Amino acid sequence: MNGISFSDIPSLFGYQFMQYALVGGVLASATCAAIGLFMLLRREALIGEGIAHVSFGGIALGLFIGVYPIYTALLLSVAATLSITWMRRKGIANSDAAIGIVVAFGLSLGLVLLSLSGGFNVDLFSYLFGSILTIDIQDLTISAALAIGVLAFLGALHKEVLSITFDEKAARVSGIPVERITIAFNILVALTVALSIKIIGILLVTALLILPGVAAMQLRLSFRGTMLFALAASAVSVIIGVVISAAVDVATSAVIIFVAMAVAAMTTMYSRLGDSK
Amino acid sequence: MSVNVGPQPPDGKGPPVIRADRLEVIRGGTVVVEDATFSIEKGDFVGIVGPNGGGKTSLVQALLGLLPRSKGEIWINGVRQHEFKNWEKVGYVSQDATSFDEKFPLTVRELVGIGLVSGKNTGRPLRASDWKRVDEELQFMGIADVAGRRVGELSGGQRQRVVVARALVRNPELLVLDEPERGMDASALEKFYGKLSELHKERKTTIIVVSHDLSTVFCRMSRVLCVNRVVYSSSVDGSTEEEALKKVYGEHFNIVYHRHECTERFA
Repeated sequence: MNGISFSDIPSLFGYQFMQYALVGGVLASATCAAIGLFMLLRREALIGEGIAHVSFGGIALGLFIGVYPIYTALLLSVAATLSITWMRRKGIANSDAAIGIVVAFGLSLGLVLLSLSGGFNVDLFSYLFGSILTIDIQDLTISAALAIGVLAFLGALHKEVLSITFDEKAARVSGIPVERITIAFNILVALTVALSIKIIGILLVTALLILPGVAAMQLRLSFRGTMLFALAASAVSVIIGVVISAAVDVATSAVIIFVAMAVAAMTTMYSRLGDSK
Repeated sequence: MSVNVGPQPPDGKGPPVIRADRLEVIRGGTVVVEDATFSIEKGDFVGIVGPNGGGKTSLVQALLGLLPRSKGEIWINGVRQHEFKNWEKVGYVSQDATSFDEKFPLTVRELVGIGLVSGKNTGRPLRASDWKRVDEELQFMGIADVAGRRVGELSGGQRQRVVVARALVRNPELLVLDEPERGMDASALEKFYGKLSELHKERKTTIIVVSHDLSTVFCRMSRVLCVNRVVYSSSVDGSTEEEALKKVYGEHFNIVYHRHECTERFA
């Protein structure tokens, strides 16, 4: 094992790459947790998976044409979420089928472009599995802007999103602009997924969207309590995950997910024990 | 320009809350409501009955603008439906309003608070006065004791009262409930309709209820619309009610009242 001893862990926090990793990771995971809780309530958790796979096509496109891959991933992610919304609204396909169609498109586009450019390379792997320890000040700035945007949107319109989630027809009758808020929400989901790829990776970003919310919902708290717990669980998962992965020298994003899963397992057990008393 | 004003009653008591004129609704290529002309006046307590698939839900959804109409015109408070702006004065509880996930992370108080959100205050945070209003509505609906509980933990009757409180918290002039009896036993149903009668009498709210519970509709409500693609409008005190029921349910259909169960009708 190429890791360090646990007594060396405090010294890790002195390194700039570690500070960037922790700040960027907490920002990205908090954004994912906040928007992910609403996705869970809307029973749309798999839209994140669909958008992440379309981002694969976007990353491949960026690498192929020599543009910063996150930009092309962003573009395709937003196009994907609007396509899913459009297919559902027009009755062309239900949610599952629409997600399936965009996943197939994204993966196929990625494979074609990779074939044309001579196959898989190191850059692509860093996007598939994330590279939190290599994020720079530009990534941090983007993550901070995204976190501010998403949290401001949800802070201002969480009642409206909840109202639409709870009973869309009643929300329409009360004059809430359901279409506009839904499209804005879906675009924020696309941005969150695409911008979290650098940190957590295409294959694992859905876990950060789902797990903190699942963990929090076991505890039967109020909405405010559930949201705060989800944010705290995501931050704790990132911090512990980054530290453990540095100590034992294994893939950081995978360890973050394992910690998030452990938190969800603990809240589930706690809830079940409470039920059996 | 005065295109907004719908047909006016001759007695000058103001326009009907709802007026449908030769309304036709098509769903999935099939005509589900045909040539419907009727009005609902301020303060009416209207039951909409009819067989499954008869078009009851489609009718109310068309009245509220949730379904497009293929023909005809709808006026709400004398204003053409597509020009009507005061939707915060309309409360609606859909058929599946209580079928939420058991783990849905909202307390009863939070859910009723969300009912205050409308097109006219989008993005505005709730104030102390809003929460006071929420607490008043919880009290009125008899659910103040479960205010802090999560909505998923409630019984069917409690859930129904919570979603009605959510619709009522904006003080609507018109309340529309689509099959509210789902998930309620006879006792819960009795309490629930008792509360609706109270609401109708105390606040003069116009109430429309889509229901399969004919005895409740004919005992408690002032008017009935019988719907089976065609809409037969009658007053329960008029002589046409039996005819209307036979038209939608068939000639074999008869309704029998038990005086002791129907105190409001025979008061």
